Amino acid sequence: MASPDHRCQSSFYPNLDAHLQGGWPQTGLVELACGPMGIGELRLLLPLLAQAQSRLQVWINPPAELNGQALAQHGIDLSQTLLIRCQNPQQALWSAEQSLNSGCCSHLILWAPKLTAPQAKRLQVSAKDNQALIFWLNSQAEPSTSALPVSARLSLSPLATGLRLQIHKYQGQWPQHPCQVDMHALWPSLTVPSHRPTHLVKAPINNIVALPLQLR
Amino acid sequence: MQWLYLYFPSLQLDSLLNQQAYHQPCVLVDKNKVLQANPEARQWGIKIGTGLAQAALLCAQLKVIAYDAKQEQRLLLQLAQRLYQTSATLYLDPPQGLLLQTSDMLRLYNGLDAYWQQLQQPLKERGLNYHYASAHSPLAAQVLARVGNDRLLKDQRQATKLLSQLPIHGAGLEYKLALQLERLGLNTLGQAQALPRSALGQRLGQNLVTYLQQLDTHSAPERSAYRPPEHFRQRLELLYEIEQSTALRFPLKRLLNDLEAFLGPRQLRVAGLSLGLEYREQNAERLHIGCSDGEYRGEAWLALCMLRLEQLQLQAPIIAISLNTKGQMPWAPLAAQLFEPPGGKLTPGQLISRLQNKLGDHAVQQVYLRDDHRPERSFYQGPPHSHYQTQPATIALRPSLLFALPQALGHKPNHQWCILSGPERIQSGWWDNVSICRDYFIARNPMGQICWLFRTPREEWFLHGYFS
Repeated sequence: MASPDHRCQSSFYPNLDAHLQGGWPQTGLVELACGPMGIGELRLLLPLLAQAQSRLQVWINPPAELNGQALAQHGIDLSQTLLIRCQNPQQALWSAEQSLNSGCCSHLILWAPKLTAPQAKRLQVSAKDNQALIFWLNSQAEPSTSALPVSARLSLSPLATGLRLQIHKYQGQWPQHPCQVDMHALWPSLTVPSHRPTHLVKAPINNIVALPLQLR
Repeated sequence: MQWLYLYFPSLQLDSLLNQQAYHQPCVLVDKNKVLQANPEARQWGIKIGTGLAQAALLCAQLKVIAYDAKQEQRLLLQLAQRLYQTSATLYLDPPQGLLLQTSDMLRLYNGLDAYWQQLQQPLKERGLNYHYASAHSPLAAQVLARVGNDRLLKDQRQATKLLSQLPIHGAGLEYKLALQLERLGLNTLGQAQALPRSALGQRLGQNLVTYLQQLDTHSAPERSAYRPPEHFRQRLELLYEIEQSTALRFPLKRLLNDLEAFLGPRQLRVAGLSLGLEYREQNAERLHIGCSDGEYRGEAWLALCMLRLEQLQLQAPIIAISLNTKGQMPWAPLAAQLFEPPGGKLTPGQLISRLQNKLGDHAVQQVYLRDDHRPERSFYQGPPHSHYQTQPATIALRPSLLFALPQALGHKPNHQWCILSGPERIQSGWWDNVSICRDYFIARNPMGQICWLFRTPREEWFLHGYFS
């Protein structure tokens, strides 16, 4: 069943790999509908990005400054990282296509609000032709309903243990039931272990630390 | 020694008209006299030396361009630069002639015919009208070329015979001197050559004797031979004013082809080009187009230049463009290209150059680290590939997305927020007047975002980033 087109690269989250039967696609366009930023969408990708650094990794239009300290902490080689900021969406797509077509980019993370079907198709083809994987992050809660030509389409929602992934489309597979990504092993201080209840835990009052007296 | 002389009677006009097909009468004028005319103008009866008023009467649609001696000198230099690749020893003979020493080159090209084929190629590409002649002495070749001999004479006797048959007015002598000779009844050059030199010198001056001697002198002229420049610099005057930046593509392509012809044989590449745009009534503008890896191919440069030109708003019509190189370096094949994955067409440096030329230098950045505990100063963005990196300044967990300016939260995190870790106090920067004193917390807000908050001593809360 495993034809060369469907080779996968590990996401370095064992339960996600098992769920997706191998992990992220090797090439193509992956749509991640994240909702509000900061729920863990980059944490989902960082282990993969830290492992695959033979070619450039291009970040286009991140919604805030990309913190070099955090990236370096997670093992990302900053000399292989390119940050592009564009003034309009056309330029962002142009940059993405150029980066992919150059053949020297292995992963591309693009923040863009919307893609039309032809745009998605072009990115998908460029990525496949040049052995690259592009993650398109948008802030929609639900993925676009129109049938965009993407390799995979997932929507993300936050959990105390990590992320809950709804897989709407994954090339070569049936849509599957949601999957929970446990991030406690990699980010113990940001998440709770998964044997605790998985819904959002309310903050215990005693977690709020009082400011030392001399500063008041 | 064997010499070849190339004579370009309409160098400036031909170069202008070669830019595009132009089939209207057109003349170059200096001091109200026609200096150069194209065939269409000649059909109307316009000749070299015709007055401007008469020319305008002969043809109403005549396009008149001012003659520019400096420009013609520049064109001659460009031509010499190009021909230098075929012929090693050449001399400039301004304003319109080039003298080539052929005897040394014949062994390389295996005969005069093959050599002449090679020489003609660039002349045809440029659409130049030319006359030529080869002879045993530089002056003989010059005189024969200027009368339009257009033959390659391998034998000295042939050349001497042709010279002796030349009418005295066509021998390149000063008009006054030629007139004096004619009045003596000497109608051809051969008749003058037959007379004793000393008698001629006494009656008509030393100039004539020198001239006659030089006709038989085989050795090289006394001035120094052409030496090609070390750096490429070329200017192209446009036949039409250009009002759209994208229309610069075609003239630019010509310049870049010359650049490639300049760099290729020298095994050089350049890291940057300086493209000068000369406006009709405003100061010239210079654009810098960079390619960090260095490049010599005209086509690659054209793509980069067009990316930059597409962004450009022209201030006025362009009348000329010029091209200089910046940072020449030896060309070396990139070792990495050998093992790159299939489909790899560009190196990272080429990709960066392309992006920078389209988006501007500031749009393409790389993140660098700095040893500073203040979060917003612990990294900075700079031009890519400066190859400089330090270790992370801290081992404490930092958010991957950071706001350049912390956002005021407006309220204290309430019971719906879940504090995951903190406080981490960062108190630093007392030495450079940007001191901070903050207590940082990691907290999850009701929407599930993991936020990096801080509290100031005045009990104000700010959101500084997300653990995205």
